[in-house]
Amino acid sequence: MTSFVIAAIAMLVALVPAGVTLARGALADAVVGFEFITSVAVMIFALLAEGFKRPGLFEFPVILAVLLFGSGLVFVRALERWL
Amino acid sequence: MIREVISDTLLALAVLTVAASAVGVAVSQNAYARLHYVTPAAVVAPVLVALAVFVTEGLDQNTGETVLALVFLVAAAPFLSHATIRAARIREQGNWRDVPPVPDSAAPDSTVPDRSARGGTDSGAEAVRAREAS
Repeated sequence: MTSFVIAAIAMLVALVPAGVTLARGALADAVVGFEFITSVAVMIFALLAEGFKRPGLFEFPVILAVLLFGSGLVFVRALERWL
Repeated sequence: MIREVISDTLLALAVLTVAASAVGVAVSQNAYARLHYVTPAAVVAPVLVALAVFVTEGLDQNTGETVLALVFLVAAAPFLSHATIRAARIREQGNWRDVPPVPDSAAPDSTVPDRSARGGTDSGAEAVRAREAS
């Protein structure tokens, strides 16, 4: 197990507090928790791709980073207008 | 050997940054305070991870794609933070500016506080007032 995989596991554990915030917090807090989790998930995918030496998996973090922006704005606009 | 040490150090710093940010997100009082802790996880930690990949792999496709993801993350973070704060403020106050919303039926001058009387000017408030009056 390389240090990249260990770092990915550690970051996964660090997602737990943000997950609790997302599940139990108010609506605005949940959006913040979602943004935090998505940002960290981008790094986790990159770390796992490097840790397992799978160059093809490096597409994941790139796509997720792009989707983070769009999905985050969609949630925020929904929060602002309809929720 | 030295590359591994540097890479491991960078990864440890990234994990520490994310862990500290996660604790900050969990213990903060409201969404405004929580957002402060998203920024290190979305900007600082990805830079450290990209540097660790660069130190390990050198200049190759993996490093390029990691840097690309990093660029998207760093570019999106401030826009998302601003939009989130704006949405939370609109949700709480009905208006993201420092002016209470004007009811349609009420006269604008009787409900909007007159800032010029306090010696201040607020072009944003004036714009809101003009829009509501029209």
